[in-house]
Amino acid sequence: MSGPDAMRALTCDEVRELAGAFVLGALDPIEAAAVRTHLAGGHADVHPEIAELGSVIPALHEVVPVVEPPEGLKARIMAAAGADLAARGAVPAAGTAPLAFPGAEARAERANRRSRTSTGGWLLRIAAVLAIAVLGGWNLLLQNDLGAARRYEQNVAAVLATASEPGALTAVLTADGGTGSGLAAVNRSGDVAIAMRDLAPTSGNAVYEAWVIGGDGVPVPLGGFTVDNSRTAFFESSGLPSAEGIVLALTLESGPGATTPTMPIISKGVAAAPG
Amino acid sequence: MTTGDQPLPLRTPSPLDEADRAALARIAGGELAALEYLYDRYKTMAYSIAYRITNDATLAEDVVQDAFLGAWRNAARYIEGRGSVKTWLLSIVHHRAIDAIRRRRPTTELPELDAGLPDALTMPDVWAEVSANLDSITVREALVALSDVQREALELAYFGGLTQQEIAERTGTPLGTVKSRMRLGLLAMRRSLEVGSS
Repeated sequence: MSGPDAMRALTCDEVRELAGAFVLGALDPIEAAAVRTHLAGGHADVHPEIAELGSVIPALHEVVPVVEPPEGLKARIMAAAGADLAARGAVPAAGTAPLAFPGAEARAERANRRSRTSTGGWLLRIAAVLAIAVLGGWNLLLQNDLGAARRYEQNVAAVLATASEPGALTAVLTADGGTGSGLAAVNRSGDVAIAMRDLAPTSGNAVYEAWVIGGDGVPVPLGGFTVDNSRTAFFESSGLPSAEGIVLALTLESGPGATTPTMPIISKGVAAAPG
Repeated sequence: MTTGDQPLPLRTPSPLDEADRAALARIAGGELAALEYLYDRYKTMAYSIAYRITNDATLAEDVVQDAFLGAWRNAARYIEGRGSVKTWLLSIVHHRAIDAIRRRRPTTELPELDAGLPDALTMPDVWAEVSANLDSITVREALVALSDVQREALELAYFGGLTQQEIAERTGTPLGTVKSRMRLGLLAMRRSLEVGSS
């Protein structure tokens, strides 16, 4: 079916002839539309072959060689869905910056851009979404904690500013049994920025102490910070070794100035080059 | 979610199907955790299909993301009786992957992405499964039992994203023969799968 005949109505015999290609998706869009039009026009009952042949299609999925998706893909999807949810108005959006990820509507433009996008820029965008998603931005939105969500986004943005520097390392800090996760970036100069969420609020003199553990296995204190009811925090320090594999960790201390960590570790992550 | 006009009694729903449908209903209600559940269950198959078709890790990621977001946004359009949630979801993945590679081929006619497309072009046709008890070995045996030319036609169409006309041109085969190979190949597979799952 092509040329002047492309738009004409199909006969039942023609649809039967096209049934295999139709269920396999091997018709061009005009042909496929013609088949659908025919079926929708009261002819579906006389074409059991469509369902008969189509029933084989799901089986073809079972023979595809298994390839595991990359770790960050889930975070990207959840971040995009979270942004979509916010855009629907499910969460009051007053003053809330949109999550930095393109929707499906921007897909074609994004695909066209891909070839001329710098690797660093692409990685940074992925890192941004990864950070927002992994660190639970959508959870904050779901909890309607807009203040915390906004603060958290700002903190993540600050970490990403460090992460975007050439040669910077990033670490995803995950809770070690309790709650408290986040993102850290260390630049070549040894400056570190850490954004955290879901930390229990501190009280009295208690502080969270950040530590770096290098190849010698000795924890070196970086400084402490307190956490308010937003349960989010941003921390900066300097003088770190900028080497892949260093461990960043948080402990809860009874007061500032700890020289050895008090167990347990609240959250920790390993610094690595992005990508 | 709606109910199809003609449920096909080809497959008995399993408890996992019920869980998937419940998850999809929660997704339709905007529950992100349900999307996470569905992703965790089908991420490997989804990515494997996308990668098999695109042969490009980055493009496969985009395809899977598009597919899950498509499911997220269109969960209410899932039609019971026209395949399981798994089939519905993987059909979206397949549909988006084929779109992606056809878009990469400058000679293929394809409408512009998304804008104003009818439903049928943004969401896939979904078929009820011939059996719920299929495993990869059974399906592989059914595929191996086909003639080489039938298997080639099915693979070029379903995983290569070629139209019947393109298959005819690539293989130097008359179009009518390509149509027959696809139809007879699918019929032969169906017979094998019915026997294999009984």
